[in-house]
Amino acid sequence: MEKGAVSGVEPGTGLTELLPQGGDRLRRAAEFVAVPAFALLVAAALFSAVLLGMGQSPLAFFELLWRGAFGSAFSWQNTLQRAAPLILTALCVALPARAGLMVIGGEGAFVVGGLAAAIAPLPFLGLAPAPVLLALMAAAGMLAGALWIGLVGVLRHRRGVNETISSLLLTYIAVAVLSFLVEGPLRDPATPNKPSTHPIGADVMLAPIPGTSVHWGLVAGIVACVLAHLLISRTSTGFAIRIAGGNPRTALGQGLPVGKLIVLCCLLAGGAAGLAGFFDVATVHGAANVSLVAGYGFTGILVSFLARHNALAIPPVAILFGGIGAAGGLIQRRLGLPDATVALLEGVIFVTLLTSETLYGRFALFQPRAARPRP
Amino acid sequence: MTDTGVITVLIALLAGAIRVSTPFLFVSLGECLTEKSGRVNLGLEGTLVLGAMVAFAISYHSGSPWLGVAAAAGAGFLMGALHGAICRLPRVNDIAIGIAMMSFGTGLALFLGKPYIQPSAPRLPSLPLGDWLDMPALAQMLDVSPLFLVGLALAFLLDWVFRNTRAGLIVRVTGDDAAAARALGIGVDRVRLFATALGGASAGVGGAFLSLYYPGSWNEGLSSGQGLMAVALVIFARWQPRRCLLASLFFGAASALGPALQSVGITAGYYFLNAAPYVLTLLIMAGSGSARRAAQYAPGELSINR
Amino acid sequence: MSNEALSFTSPGAIALEAIGLSKRFGSFKALDDVSLKVPAGEFHALLGENGAGKSTLVKCLMGFHRADEGAVLLDGREVSVRNPREAQGLGLGMVYQHFTLVPSLTAAENLVIARRDAPAVIDWAAERRRIEAFLDRTPFRVPLDRRVGALSAGERQKLEILKLLYLDQRFMILDEPTSVLTPAEADEILGHLKAMTERGEITVLMITHKFREVQAFADAVTVLRRGRVVGGGRGLSTREMATMMVGEAAATAGASGKAALPERRAMPASVGEPALELAGLFAEDDDGRPALRGVSLKVAAGEIVGIAGVSGNGQGALVETCCGQRPLSSGQMFVNGRDFLPTRRAFDAAGLFVVPEEPLKNAAVAGMSVADNIVFRRFEKPPLSRRGWWLDRRAIRAAGRELMTRFRVASPSPDTPIGALSGGNVQRAVLARELSAEPIAVLIVANPCFGLDFASAAEIRARIVAARNAGAAVLLISEDLDEVLDLSDTVAVISHGQIAYKAPIAEVDRGTIGIHFAGGSEGEQGAPLG
Repeated sequence: MEKGAVSGVEPGTGLTELLPQGGDRLRRAAEFVAVPAFALLVAAALFSAVLLGMGQSPLAFFELLWRGAFGSAFSWQNTLQRAAPLILTALCVALPARAGLMVIGGEGAFVVGGLAAAIAPLPFLGLAPAPVLLALMAAAGMLAGALWIGLVGVLRHRRGVNETISSLLLTYIAVAVLSFLVEGPLRDPATPNKPSTHPIGADVMLAPIPGTSVHWGLVAGIVACVLAHLLISRTSTGFAIRIAGGNPRTALGQGLPVGKLIVLCCLLAGGAAGLAGFFDVATVHGAANVSLVAGYGFTGILVSFLARHNALAIPPVAILFGGIGAAGGLIQRRLGLPDATVALLEGVIFVTLLTSETLYGRFALFQPRAARPRP
Repeated sequence: MTDTGVITVLIALLAGAIRVSTPFLFVSLGECLTEKSGRVNLGLEGTLVLGAMVAFAISYHSGSPWLGVAAAAGAGFLMGALHGAICRLPRVNDIAIGIAMMSFGTGLALFLGKPYIQPSAPRLPSLPLGDWLDMPALAQMLDVSPLFLVGLALAFLLDWVFRNTRAGLIVRVTGDDAAAARALGIGVDRVRLFATALGGASAGVGGAFLSLYYPGSWNEGLSSGQGLMAVALVIFARWQPRRCLLASLFFGAASALGPALQSVGITAGYYFLNAAPYVLTLLIMAGSGSARRAAQYAPGELSINR
Repeated sequence: MSNEALSFTSPGAIALEAIGLSKRFGSFKALDDVSLKVPAGEFHALLGENGAGKSTLVKCLMGFHRADEGAVLLDGREVSVRNPREAQGLGLGMVYQHFTLVPSLTAAENLVIARRDAPAVIDWAAERRRIEAFLDRTPFRVPLDRRVGALSAGERQKLEILKLLYLDQRFMILDEPTSVLTPAEADEILGHLKAMTERGEITVLMITHKFREVQAFADAVTVLRRGRVVGGGRGLSTREMATMMVGEAAATAGASGKAALPERRAMPASVGEPALELAGLFAEDDDGRPALRGVSLKVAAGEIVGIAGVSGNGQGALVETCCGQRPLSSGQMFVNGRDFLPTRRAFDAAGLFVVPEEPLKNAAVAGMSVADNIVFRRFEKPPLSRRGWWLDRRAIRAAGRELMTRFRVASPSPDTPIGALSGGNVQRAVLARELSAEPIAVLIVANPCFGLDFASAAEIRARIVAARNAGAAVLLISEDLDEVLDLSDTVAVISHGQIAYKAPIAEVDRGTIGIHFAGGSEGEQGAPLG
């Protein structure tokens, strides 16, 4: 607060009465919609310029983009399929962010989660029914991911190691561990070209949601987001996390166990990314191999930022980017544009949306009344 | 293993280390310069890939690989300037912007680079430093890229600039204490913008090495994350350009050790060597009592050290 | 700027005269018709309590602020200083309380980069010769090639002074230059400066709280109080200066809101076990330097112990260690005779409440709502949480609303982020949180009225006295001496991380307190410890 605000609003000025209940909330909500919408328009305009430069019609492009992403049941399925892992890896950023940590190692947790999920059932193949094996795989994936990011939290709390750097380093270590295991001790000799672990077998693999080609990771992701939202905004633990993330000094002064809260958030975050790794193995690959390193973790970071680390906003943002990815094929076929076109579009959107953060708080229209200087 | 085997491994290791380390060297020097000014650029991976693509395309069209290198530096400069210009805005998170720029740079490179995947472009020449040997196999391994020598010179140059020029001192002051810099009349934002842009240019040259020397072609999977690891390299190098050289050679050697061992028939286990530099960096950061010691080398304004 | 060229042979000391400077910040008069005359070659001390206007005065001289009225004369010519750079150009330099050297650069690098005509490529051999030649003309010695971060506090302070000399700034303003130094270092540095003033090379204007240094080094003194010059001259005794500095008790009683205080119930005659006991607390500051050096103190139920002192003597660390924001390196804290560790359960069990200074920074979360901030102490308990974990948001809003009314927190709604409120309302919200519980066994309050208007301050002081009357042991830490004297049953002074003085309010006189502000090292002039 500025010095001048000391005299601020005093009782009896009448402002309290003048303002409808929750007016500030509405203003803030409007800002959260208006700023990203504006940024998306800017991104679309920039990209249209690129398309015009290439002699393409932006209108045709965006029409195809819409059709390829959300235009039919088929494109919806494709979109949701791509969104599923992003939802869970975005949670891996959003949860620690609420506790004040900037973790960017979801990719590593995704990889170790997938690896653990692929290894765990191998000794029991044929000995236990598929649902039991799947439960075991899911538990192993979540546990591995949780420990992976949990280590980041412990290093931060105990040794003051910056979580951004340590989680990035751990990502590379995770990839090396994966390469070592799938090309070394755990390699299935039947996979000469693409070294993989022993496959879990088609009968163990998780079938898609009935009547669709979408796998259950989408449901798990949305459920996880709802749970994360409830944890953060409806439970006392979440309340404590918000205090610790908002102002660690205040949290300490209230006797809250800041370190434990940080580690808890990291464990849950890693669990979410590990679960995404499990779904990738259980529904797509059927084994662990380098295909697990597909950049979901990194895109998840951006999804979480664009959702402003709000768990309920993650699924829509993930679906938006899933849709852009899903439309790539159609755009390539119809317009003859390179398939990287959508990657470029994504990049432009990421940059403009993140840059638009600077616009928050700049327009008086959206500000709470009490914060405005009085005339 | 015979003596010849050992020598072969060692020389292959050295040659491999030099070859693999060159892109590491350029990105780490670029990141070092950027971080010395007090800002982090996590987006050098995108710059590296874009630099590779631009270098290849320009070399293909002009027939001059050196023109390609210059163009890559120019593209990197622009990417860095964009990063710097965005990060000076209030409330913008430099970590997130870095990752977004990585995505943007890679996307742009793949988008523009589609037509260049098939053709071959004139490559950078190599300097045969091993000709005096009477073993052609070994001599071939000792062919050194002129870009490695440029990087070598750049490391020493940067070191000299930081110590012996007003510009270098200004960058260090800016990175260490923005308030003190402002008190000296230094335009903090402008210094960081330039440092980030020049850092990007260096990373662009690193990309040119990938597409014009080793592996020496342009394709979508060209980079294996060298750009992203720049941050780790710079921590490892304690923010000193000459140590960046050592760190790059070490990271390069660790990556080269695998293929070298493979060449003498050892195939298993070496993937852990790939992870060694990262594990070591993590241990350095977490090592008992050294957290404070490590932090004293870091520029005071750096967000990742708070 | 024209006079940039470095010449180490310039004529020497500069004389400064300020005439009738006044400066207002809003309704607050920071400087009121202040005049000051410092002849060339004088070592002049500027004394005053916190908030007396010393900083404002030197900031006006240095061009950080522009005075509303008045003039500044250098060597008899009127000058207009619009910013610190212009001040530099005129030969005015300042050593700040915080270091302005760049820690990762060496001493030599710091000197060269401070020059605005530093060459693009630095010829270190030549620079070294110049610097060494320059050093030969000064009495100070510092290692030139070591990183400044690795220098001792004394060496850094010497380097700050050397930097001013190197830039040919012959009127030197020093803002508490010895606060981070050992007495031996302080004597060495001030001794050298004194000698330079005697040779007519420089003029010194030093802000200080230490009478010992004034007596030993200053030629003349000016004392500020509440923005006015209240005295000064040459050859004043310590007691005379102390009295000027803290004012006469009778003269100020009416102005500080005492009238608004509720009646104080008498303290229980037989004081038993102290409710709060601090036993030998030691703690370090963020840079690992000692901040608390064995603070021991007892506070009885129904007693207010007020700790006065010059800011930066360990007050912040004391509050932080008590509420768990800073680890203790040794020492123990007892509440009601039992060992106290700052965990959430212990806060509750002991009935210990803390209102730190700057509540938005230390005791609130700016992005959370006012209601949320008000329930920080009990959000996990019924009725605010069901079964201890599921928040009842309606109950939280209702609790917030109720306390907002009781403590007159003006906010558009309980949902407004607390960061959007004015400072007084944030303070009231935090007080609502910490003072609304029953019973309060121990209350720790730091600078509760800092920056607040008169009415808010009076209201908050009344609440503190009310808590004491209800039987709380109150530890009040304040940089406002009048506040301490008005509220306390027992007065203590903290200096250099230690309790330097302690006495019941009836036995306290301002002169003695003023002396102990300076560290209780006054030798025969100081009163014995109470």
